[in-house]
Amino acid sequence: MAEKLLEISNLHAGAADREIIKGVSLTVHKGEVHVILGPNGSGKSTLMNVIMGHPGYKVTEGSIFFDGRDISALKTFERAREGIFLSFQTPEEIPGITVENMLRTAKQAVTGKFQRIFAFRKELKAMMEELKIDPSYSERDLNVGFSGGEKKRNEILQLLMLNPKLALLDETDSGLDVDAVQIVSAGIRKFHNENNACLIITHNTRILEKLQVDRVHVLMQGRIVEEGGPELIDRISRNGFGQLAVP
Amino acid sequence: MEQKKTFVEDIERTLYDIRNEDHSVYKTERGLTEDIIRDISRQKQDPGWMLDFRLKSLEQYHQIPLPVWGPDISELNMDEIVTYVRPGGKMAENWQEVPEEIKDTFDRLGIPKAEQTSLAGVGAQYDSEVVYHRVQKELSDRGVIYTDFETAVREYEDIVKEYFMKLVPPKDHKFTALHGAVWSGGSFVYVPEGVHVEIPLQSYFRLNAAGAGQFEHTLIICEKNSSLHFIEGCSAPRYNVTNLHAGCVELYVKEGARLRYSTIENWSRNMMNLNTKRALVEKDGLIEWVSGSFGSHISCLYPASILHGENARCEFTGVTFASKGQNLDTGATVVMMAPHTSANINTRTISKSGGAATYRSAVKVTKAARGAKCMVNCESLMLDEESRSDTLPVMDIETDDVEIGHEAKVGRISDEAIFYLTSRGIDEEEAQAMIVRGFVEPIAKSLPLEYAVEMNNLINLELVGSMG
Amino acid sequence: MAQEIFSALPMRTWRWLGVNEALLPKELRQPEALAEGPEQASGGSRGEITKAEDAACTKKLNTACRTIHVPAGETMEAVVVYRKEQLTEIQADVAEGGTLNLVCVQMVPADSAYAGSVTVTAGRNAKICYTAVEAGSSHTVTKLQIDLAGEGSIADVSAVYFGDKERRIDMNYVISQIGKHTDANMQVRGALQDASDKIFRGTLDFRRGSKGSTGREREEVILLDEGVRNRSVPLMMSGEDEVTGHHAVSAGRMNPDRLFYLMSRGMDEKEAQKLLVQAMFSPVLDRIPDAGLREEVAGSIEERITDGRS
Repeated sequence: MAEKLLEISNLHAGAADREIIKGVSLTVHKGEVHVILGPNGSGKSTLMNVIMGHPGYKVTEGSIFFDGRDISALKTFERAREGIFLSFQTPEEIPGITVENMLRTAKQAVTGKFQRIFAFRKELKAMMEELKIDPSYSERDLNVGFSGGEKKRNEILQLLMLNPKLALLDETDSGLDVDAVQIVSAGIRKFHNENNACLIITHNTRILEKLQVDRVHVLMQGRIVEEGGPELIDRISRNGFGQLAVP
Repeated sequence: MEQKKTFVEDIERTLYDIRNEDHSVYKTERGLTEDIIRDISRQKQDPGWMLDFRLKSLEQYHQIPLPVWGPDISELNMDEIVTYVRPGGKMAENWQEVPEEIKDTFDRLGIPKAEQTSLAGVGAQYDSEVVYHRVQKELSDRGVIYTDFETAVREYEDIVKEYFMKLVPPKDHKFTALHGAVWSGGSFVYVPEGVHVEIPLQSYFRLNAAGAGQFEHTLIICEKNSSLHFIEGCSAPRYNVTNLHAGCVELYVKEGARLRYSTIENWSRNMMNLNTKRALVEKDGLIEWVSGSFGSHISCLYPASILHGENARCEFTGVTFASKGQNLDTGATVVMMAPHTSANINTRTISKSGGAATYRSAVKVTKAARGAKCMVNCESLMLDEESRSDTLPVMDIETDDVEIGHEAKVGRISDEAIFYLTSRGIDEEEAQAMIVRGFVEPIAKSLPLEYAVEMNNLINLELVGSMG
Repeated sequence: MAQEIFSALPMRTWRWLGVNEALLPKELRQPEALAEGPEQASGGSRGEITKAEDAACTKKLNTACRTIHVPAGETMEAVVVYRKEQLTEIQADVAEGGTLNLVCVQMVPADSAYAGSVTVTAGRNAKICYTAVEAGSSHTVTKLQIDLAGEGSIADVSAVYFGDKERRIDMNYVISQIGKHTDANMQVRGALQDASDKIFRGTLDFRRGSKGSTGREREEVILLDEGVRNRSVPLMMSGEDEVTGHHAVSAGRMNPDRLFYLMSRGMDEKEAQKLLVQAMFSPVLDRIPDAGLREEVAGSIEERITDGRS
C-alpha cells in the first residue's frame, strides 16, 4: 500500500464553546481520491478548515498527521508550505491584489524558490489557456467581481500552479452551475496522480463522474457514520442520509 | 469628545491668564519678537516690502487664536519656534546627530549614503547640484524659472510680489500668519504659456541651508496651457530638530494648464506638520494632488483647490497611515465657484498601534457653480483595537444643478481574507501587508514608480511585527 | 450663550462651514420658554399620542414629560404629532429584548419655530425603530441621540424632511454604538425647494468595545431650485477595529432620465417631480402606522411641492 499522506485520529474540534467535529478518524494515502458526504451542518466544511488550520477553530482532542508529521501546532501558511491546499467554497475577494501577484507570492512561499517574473508569467498564461481562462484575468484583483464560475476556475488555477500534495476541495455549494462542475472535475483530473491525493466535499455527484473515487466517508453531526467504496455515493444519492443512524 | 472641550478651555486660559508665566503660549507671544523678524529679514536680504509683510504677519500671528478643532496641539512647544527662527538656533547639522531610529529607516528604505547625509545638511548637496543644474539649463532655455525662494524674491521680485501669499493670506489662521512672518527657503516655479515640462521637478534637488524646510514657501505659477509635475521634497524622510513644520504652498493653475503636485511625507515622529496648501484653478485647468502622509506626530493637512474658472477640475488622491503616537488629521478642501467645475477625491487611511487617523474635508459649491460635479470616496482601515479612525466630511451646496456624491467605509482586515492568503502558503505578516498594499493600490497607481515603491516600503516597515 | 446652543457636532470642524453647532431658534430663546417647558411655550397643546399597540403599556407613556419606558421583552408603538408645540423632548429607554417603534411627525405651522430632542437608550437585544417627518415650522432644529448600550441592540432610523420657501431645517442625529454586535441603520431622505436651507448631521460613533457592530448611514437629498442651500455632514467615528461602517450622501437634481420617462407618459415637469418626490418619501412615510396621518403628511408635502413656484 502507498504511503499515508493524511492521518486524522479521533479529532475533536469546534468554534467558541461549541464542538462541531466530535471524534473523526480518517486516513488518506498517496494516489487516492476520498469523498466526504453529509447533510448541511454536519461539519464537512469545518473539517476542511480545521485541516487547513483556520484560526477560528480549536482542536480540543486528537491529532492530524500530514506526511508523517504532526501538524496540529502549525499555522495555516506552514501547512500550505507542507503541501496542503484548500479550494474554498466561497473564495475571498481582495481588492488591490492581482491574481498574478498573489499566485507568484504564494508560489515563492510554497516552493521556497524565487519566481522570476517573466518565467512565472509564461507558466501562468499557459495554465490559464489550458483552463480556458481569459489571460487578462491575471491582472484583475483577486476574485473581485468574479462570477461564481470564474472564482471556481481561479481556485483550480491556483491548485494547479501551486501543485500541493493534498487538495482539499470544498464544493459544498450545490448551486454550482454546469460550467463550474466541469472546471472542478477537469481540474482534479489534471492535478491528480499517484503522488498526491484529493479530499472532496460535494453534493454534486457529477463532479465525481469521471473520477476514480477510492473511499467515501459519510459525516453526520460531527461523526463519521458510514464508510465504504464508491458504491456508497450511489446509495446515498438514491436513499438520502435518513437511513443512516447517528451513533 | 470631552477631550476637545477641555482643549478649548485650556486655550482660553493660556491666552488670557498672562500672569501665569509657565504658559508656553504666553512665552511665545513674547518670544517671537519684531527684533527676531528683522534679524531674519536682514539675513535674507529681503526687500523693504517683504520686511513689512513679515512684520504685519507677526502682528496677525499674535492676534489669531489657535484653532479650536482638530487634533490637540496644546503640547506644541512654541519656544522651539523661537529657537529656530532666532538666528543661530541649534540645528542638527551633521549626520551623527540624527537619531538612530531615523537612520535605520533610511537604511531599510535603501536610500544611498550620500543622499542620507544630504538630508541633515549640505554635505552631499554637491551631487544633487549637478543634476539640478543640468535640469535647470534645459528648462531655462524654454523660459521656465525654477529656483529657491530667496533667489526668486531678489531676481523675480515683480512676479513674487504679485502672487506671494495672495492665495493663502497670513490672516487665514495662526500658522499661516506665523509662516508669513518667518518663512524661509522653498521653491519658486514659473512655467510660461504653452510650455510642457515633461520631467517631474523635484524640490528634493534643492536642499538649501540646513533646516530651511520648516517654514518653506512654495509658489508655482503655470501659465495658460502649460503643464508641470512637481514633487515636493519629502521624497526622503527628513529630520528636523524643531518640532513644527508650517510650510505654505501656493499653486496658480491658469487657463487650460495642468499641474500635478505630489508629496510623500515621512516626517520624523516629533513633528507637528501644520502645512497649508492651496491651488487656484482657472478655466479648463486641472490640479492633481497626490498626497501621502506617513510621518509626523501630528498632521493637519487639507490641500485646498479653488476651482475658479469654468470647467476647472481637481483630482485628489491621498493616503494616510497613522501608527503609534501619531494623530494624522488629513483630507481635502474643494471650493467650486464656476460652472461645470468637477472634483474627485479618493482617499485611504490606515491606523494601527494606537494611531489616530482622521479624514476631514469640505466641499463647497457656490451659487455660480451650476453643473458642478464632485465625488468623494474614502476608505479607512483599522489594524487593531487601540487605534482610531474618524471621517468628517462636510458638503455645502448652494445651488440645485449639481451632482454630489460621498461614500466612506471603515473596517478592518477580515480574518477570512488573511486565512485565504495564508492557506496559499503566504505568511501572516506578508498576507497582511499584501492586503494593506492592495488597499492603497488605487493611490499607488497614481504615483511615479519610485514613489509607489517607497510607499510600499514604508507600509512594510510599519507592518513589521504587527501580527501576533 | 451656552443655552442658545441646542446641539453640537460630536467632532468640530472648520468654523466657516457653520455646522459645528445648532443654535436654538431666536423666538424660542426667551427664558420663559426654557423655564416653563413646552406646554406653556406652545400655548398649552400637547403632542398627540395616537396609538400604543399594547393597551397595558399605554399608561406607561407619560405624555406630560414624554418619557417612554419599554419593559423587557415588550413591544410598544408611539406616534407623536406636533402641531403647535415648539419645544419638545422625548426620553426613552428600551429594556432587554424590548422594541420601541417611535414615530414623530412635525407639522408645526409655517410661521413658528420648532426645536425637538429625542434621546433613546437601548438595552441588550433591544430595538429602536425611529421615524421622523420634518414637514412643518419655519425654523426646525432637532436632535436625536441613540445609545446602543446593550449587546445586540438595534437602531433603525428613517427620516424625511421637506424644505420650501425660506424654511430652515437643522438636524443632528447621533447613534452611539457602545455594546457588542449592535447594528445601526440611518436612512434620511429630503427635498429642498425655493430658498430653503438645511443642515443634516448624521453620526455613527463606534465606541471602543463595540466589537462586531455594523452601521450604515445614507442621506439622499433632491435639490429642486437654484436658491436652496444644502449642507450634509456624515460623520463616522471609530475607536474599534472590529466593526463595519459605511456612509454615503448623494445630493443633486432629480434623475433626468426618470423625469424624461415620466414626461414621455404625458406628465408635465412638476407632476413628474411631485411623483418622484413622493416615491422617494414613501418608504419612510409607510412607517407611519396610521393611514389617515400618513395621507395627511403626504398630502401636505405634495401640496407644497408646486406651491409658490411659477
